[in-house]
Amino acid sequence: MDLVLQLLFTGIGIGSVYALVALGFVLIFRATNVVNFAQGEFSMVAAFLMVVFSVKIGLPYWVAFVIALICMAGLGAVFNLAVYYPLRHRTYLPVIISTIGASIFMANTTLAIHGPEPEVLSGWFDTPGFMLGPVYLDNQYVLIIVVTALLVALQYWFFEHTLLGKKLQATSQDKEMASLLGIPVALMIMITFVYSAVIGGIAGILVAPVLFVSIGMGATIALKAFAATIIGGFGDVTGAIIGGLALGVIETFGAAYISVPYKDGFAFLVLIAFLIFRPQGIFGERVAEKA
Amino acid sequence: MHLTRRGFTTALAGSIAAPAVIRTAYAQGATVKLGMVVPMTGAAAESGSFAQTGAKIALEQVNKAGGVLGKPLELVFEDDQTTNPGAVLAFSKLASQPDIVAFLGSIRSTQMHAMAPDMLKVGKPVGFGGTDPNLTKLGNPWLFRFRPNDSYSGKVIAQFGAKELGKKKWAIVHSTDAFGTAGGKALAEALPDNGATLALDQGYANQSQDFTPVVLAVRQSGADILGTYFTFETDLGIFARQLRQLGVNIPWVGSPSIVNVSALKLAGPALYNTYGVADYAEDSSPASKAFGTAYRDVRKVAPDNQSSWTFDAVTCLAMAMNKAGSTEPNKVREAMLAIRSHKGAEGEYNFDKNGDGLHGYNIVKNDKGEIKFDKRIDFTPQLG
Repeated sequence: MDLVLQLLFTGIGIGSVYALVALGFVLIFRATNVVNFAQGEFSMVAAFLMVVFSVKIGLPYWVAFVIALICMAGLGAVFNLAVYYPLRHRTYLPVIISTIGASIFMANTTLAIHGPEPEVLSGWFDTPGFMLGPVYLDNQYVLIIVVTALLVALQYWFFEHTLLGKKLQATSQDKEMASLLGIPVALMIMITFVYSAVIGGIAGILVAPVLFVSIGMGATIALKAFAATIIGGFGDVTGAIIGGLALGVIETFGAAYISVPYKDGFAFLVLIAFLIFRPQGIFGERVAEKA
Repeated sequence: MHLTRRGFTTALAGSIAAPAVIRTAYAQGATVKLGMVVPMTGAAAESGSFAQTGAKIALEQVNKAGGVLGKPLELVFEDDQTTNPGAVLAFSKLASQPDIVAFLGSIRSTQMHAMAPDMLKVGKPVGFGGTDPNLTKLGNPWLFRFRPNDSYSGKVIAQFGAKELGKKKWAIVHSTDAFGTAGGKALAEALPDNGATLALDQGYANQSQDFTPVVLAVRQSGADILGTYFTFETDLGIFARQLRQLGVNIPWVGSPSIVNVSALKLAGPALYNTYGVADYAEDSSPASKAFGTAYRDVRKVAPDNQSSWTFDAVTCLAMAMNKAGSTEPNKVREAMLAIRSHKGAEGEYNFDKNGDGLHGYNIVKNDKGEIKFDKRIDFTPQLG
């Protein structure tokens, strides 16, 4: 039983990381109908910014965190203007290719500026974790789980109970109609990119003390987060969370009870099963229904 | 202008022969070139930069001593992107340059396996650092290893853990790539000879984000000692931290990556009091010490095996070409196989008929982040 509880905690912890990055995927998909393959790089860039502000410059952790997120907001805006906006009237394919290009550009720019050395980023706590009965709880994973839950709650409140949230929803559902109603569609999409970059940044900064800060960290997380998004249903926030958590738990238990080397295989087996039997994901709607 | 038949024939012959003449002249150019496949991007980019530094230090020393056959030695780098396809592409780019006379391959066995067929076709000497014992048993006469292979590391880890530390029940954790699989197998095979038994043989896929299931398997196995073969330092760092967090504190003897500079930085105190087999240990010999000094002058940090093998490879290849008096591949190969008692940064080189230059390992201990040399265990090679 101890083993099961330990694995469950770890699965939920790693699943929360996938879920956080998946949230960014979903938000941008809802606003623009394209997948942003640079979402993982937002996490990587934010983690490196944290290293620069907190470790290299020596700013207090909270200050470094806030500055890093402000930088991420700026990066989100630039990303929108440079990667999405010029191609907004084209089909989804050029935009997707553009995001892949941006992902490679961000990874290589970081490599050129910082160099290839992985970095250590300390967490928010002085101690690494604590025992709760027979289960060891890593403080950073506890924080990740709490922050994910808070962000989901905040996002729900924001989209359902604020005018800006409703404008964003309207934009994601029908840009032309939103425009006719006087909603500044371009601004709404800009806000979405900024918010997604910040969410991706939070995920990167939170996970960095566990996985270290490296050029490849974004791609590794994003691949799983992308799978989580498909499992949950593209365009659905709840789906992204459930998908992320499910993926984390499935791969952790699969590794423990079936095979460690094939850990990633379990996650992608579930993904393939969903693509075959329920391509719209758990909560997603068919494109035809959406239309 | 009047064109005679003789003039036309001469011009035609000249134009046919010209590319070959130019190519030959180019191949016998102002420098002697070594091609080096090295990770500049991807997960191993950092260790790739260490490898380049080691090679460049050797290059400088060779050129200061007069170069190769009276010409300066030159290195041509190609990025393998830390992937097998990237390595194959990088090698084929280098191999297409006829003026490159020899190569440095990868420290990663899996990439060496990927490139080996092309290396056989090209037919020029290749120094490499991958430690899978099978690499020098492929029937490829052009491969020369500049690190001890894992049949030695497995024997040394087993002997040290069982005889010196007195631990008999082993858990082995290894990567499932060519290096990790071969290393884990070599260690498992060496256990019975040392009166030890295997409690757990646990593979994992590279670039894992979480090792909780692996750590719990080690804990449940009841093993009293841990032997590991990790490929990537980030994996090792995550594993080490989780191992300690989940309360596993049994003695740990690891493959060389456990004492890599990056691993020490990432894992920090989680690796304190662990042991490692290290092909490079700064205090193991005067030659190792001299390399350490030269490396610190350039990088301001301690070197590790990522740079020591490339230093030795460039030095030995240059030495072999000078001894052969030629860059002709067969002559260089013969000269490489004839190298005896050359004191390199990694140890004393005596190439056997398979192309293995080193036949033992150092045991080192992580003493609060400082790597302390313990002892060297060498095996008698069968020199052909």
